[in-house]
Amino acid sequence: MSTERTVTVVPEAGLHARPAAKFVEAVNDHQSDVEIGRVDEDDLTPAGSMIAVTSLGVESGEDIRIVVDGPDEEATLDALERVLTTPEDELADANT
Amino acid sequence: MSRRTLTGTGATPRSNIGTVVWYSPDVDLPDPDNVDVDPATERDRFEDAREAARSELESERERTAERVGEQEAEIFDAHLQFLDDPQIEDGVESAIEDGLPAEYAVQQAFADPIEQFEGMEGRMAERADDLRDVRDRLIRLIAGGERVDLGDLPEGAVVLAERLTPSDTAQLDPDRVAGFATVTGGRTSHAAIFARSLALPAVVGVGDELHDIDEGATVVVDGENGEIAVDPTDERREAASATHEVEIREEPVATADGTEIEIAANVGQPVELEGAKAQGADGIGLYRTEFLFLDREAPPDEDEQYETYVEALDMFPDGRIVVRTLDVGGDKPIPYLDLPDEENPFLGERGIRRSLGPDTDLFEAQLRALLRAAADSDGRLSVMFPLVATVEELDAALETVDAVAAALDEEGIDYAVPELGVMIETPAAVFAAPELAERVDFFSVGTNDLTQYIMAAARENENVADIRDPCQPSVLRAVAQAVEAAHENDTWIGMCGEMAGDPELTELLVGLGLDELSMSAVTVPEVKATVESVDTDEAAEQATRALEAATRDQVLERIQNNDS
Repeated sequence: MSTERTVTVVPEAGLHARPAAKFVEAVNDHQSDVEIGRVDEDDLTPAGSMIAVTSLGVESGEDIRIVVDGPDEEATLDALERVLTTPEDELADANT
Repeated sequence: MSRRTLTGTGATPRSNIGTVVWYSPDVDLPDPDNVDVDPATERDRFEDAREAARSELESERERTAERVGEQEAEIFDAHLQFLDDPQIEDGVESAIEDGLPAEYAVQQAFADPIEQFEGMEGRMAERADDLRDVRDRLIRLIAGGERVDLGDLPEGAVVLAERLTPSDTAQLDPDRVAGFATVTGGRTSHAAIFARSLALPAVVGVGDELHDIDEGATVVVDGENGEIAVDPTDERREAASATHEVEIREEPVATADGTEIEIAANVGQPVELEGAKAQGADGIGLYRTEFLFLDREAPPDEDEQYETYVEALDMFPDGRIVVRTLDVGGDKPIPYLDLPDEENPFLGERGIRRSLGPDTDLFEAQLRALLRAAADSDGRLSVMFPLVATVEELDAALETVDAVAAALDEEGIDYAVPELGVMIETPAAVFAAPELAERVDFFSVGTNDLTQYIMAAARENENVADIRDPCQPSVLRAVAQAVEAAHENDTWIGMCGEMAGDPELTELLVGLGLDELSMSAVTVPEVKATVESVDTDEAAEQATRALEAATRDQVLERIQNNDS
C-alpha cells in the first residue's frame, strides 16, 4: 500500500536548484520509495533523482502529488512537505 | 607570446598586473584506446572519482559559505545531488557494461540530461551548466588531470579561463587574485557582476585569442579599457598598479571647504549591494529593478518585490536608496510583456511610457511594494521615474502614487510615501526642469541616455563614440540647466550616469552643483578621495570655464589646467 499527499510548492524558485537539492536529499534520507507528479497529470517521476525532479520544471504555487511506499511513509511525507512549504530564504535554517 | 594587446569587454574600471594561471576545468578526452577494459576496474575508477568529487565539492561549499555566504554556497548542494543521481549512476553502469572506460562512460551518461536541459529556458538551462560542471569534475578526477585550485592561487595570479561559473568565482580570493579574463561572457555575465561587486580587475569576452597567452606570462588586466596587455611596457605596468589601492572611506565625505557630497553606488542585482557597502558607498543612487522582471515566465508579485526592497533598505539604514521603477523597452526582451518590435526602440515605448501605458498593472504593483517597504524599514527610500519627457507624464505618475497610497490606506496596510523624483535623461526633461522640479523632491541625471539623446548618437554605435561624450559643451550646459532649476525649487540633484564615476570629472561635477554622485561601486573610494581634495570655489570657476568652452577638446583642456 502506498500513501499520498498533495502539497503546494512555496519556494519562489519552484523545484529548482536549492529547493530541489533539499527535496532530493530528504527523499534519500528516508527508506520509502517516493514518486512525484503534478496533480493534474497522471505521470509520476522518481523523486530520488535530482535530474528527474528538476526536469519537471515545477514552479512556485503549483500543486504536487507525492506518493510514498515503504516503512516510513508518514515521516517521509512530513519531511517532504516541510521542504516544499518552506520559503527559500528560510531553507538554509530549516536544514541545520 | 610577446608584447601584444587583446581586447574584450571591461567588467570593472580597475586594472592590475599579474602572472597568468590558466584555469581549465575541462579535460579533453582522446579517442578511447582500443583495448580490453575490465568492468570491475572501471567501476572502481568511477567510484573513486565520485568519492574525490564529493570531498572537493564539500570543501568548496564550506569555503564559499565562509567567503561569500550560505546562500551562494548552496549551489554546491545541487551539484552534490547531481553527483549521486541514480540516472547518472545507471547510465555509467550500463556504459561500462558495454565496454567503455570510466571517463567515456561518464561522458555518455551525462550527454542526454545535459541536452535535455540545454533545450529549456531560463533556470532550466542553468541546470545544464551545473551538470557540465559535475561531469567535467568527474572526468578530470578519473583521468587524473590536475586542476588549479581557485581557492589557493599564488599571490598576484591573473586567472585566464574559457568561462567562470558561479561556483568558480566564489572560490576566488580578492585579496590574492590580481584579476581575471575569460574567453566568453559579457558585461552582465555572472563573472562580470561578481568582479564589480568585489572591485576585481576583469575583462570578459576576449575571444579565442585569449588561448594564445601562455601560463606564467606577465599581463596587465585593464578592466577600464577592456584590454589584456601581454608583456606590458614599463609605462603600462606603472599605470596598472597605480590604480590598485585606494583607501576605503566608510563615512560620508565633504569637500576641503566642508560641502557634503553624497557618494552612492549604482546596482542592478541584490548581490551587488554587499560590494557597494564594502567600497564605502553612502547609499544606492540607482537601484535598477529590471533584475526582478527579467529571465522569468511571469512578473514578480507584490510581496516578492516588497521583500527585495526591504532587504536593500535594511542594508543601508543610514543611507538613501534611490529605486528606479521598471525601465524596460528598448533592448531588453521580457517574454511575458508584449514589447513591440520597434524600428527605433530607444525612441519608442520604454521607461515611464510603458508604466503609464501597457504595463500599468505592473507599475501599480511595484509602487504598492515600494510604499509598503518605505513604511517597514529604517532605510530612506526614494523612488524615481525613468525617461520622463513631459510634465503630463510626471503628473500621471504622481497621481498613480496617490491612488496606490489611497488604496493601501483603505485596506489598512502600513505604507509611507517616499521621496519622489525623476531621471533627467531626455532633452525634454532638461527644458521642462523648472516645472518638473516644482513637483518632485529630487532629480537624478542619467548621463548615458541624456548624452545619447542630446547628441543624437546611439549608445551602441562605436562610430559616434567621440560625439557621444558627456564632456560635450551641449551636455554640460544641459546638466547646468537642470541643476539650476532643481536648486531654485529646493530639489536635490544627483547624477547616476557613468560620468559620475570618473574621478577626473569629480571637480567639474562638484562645480556644476551636483549634490550626489552615484557610480559603479568600484569607483566609490577614488571619487570619495577626490571629493575631499576639491575646493568648491575653485570647482565652480572650473565649471564656469568649461561651460563657456566651444568644443569638447576645449572642455577637456580647461578641466585639466584648472590653475590656468
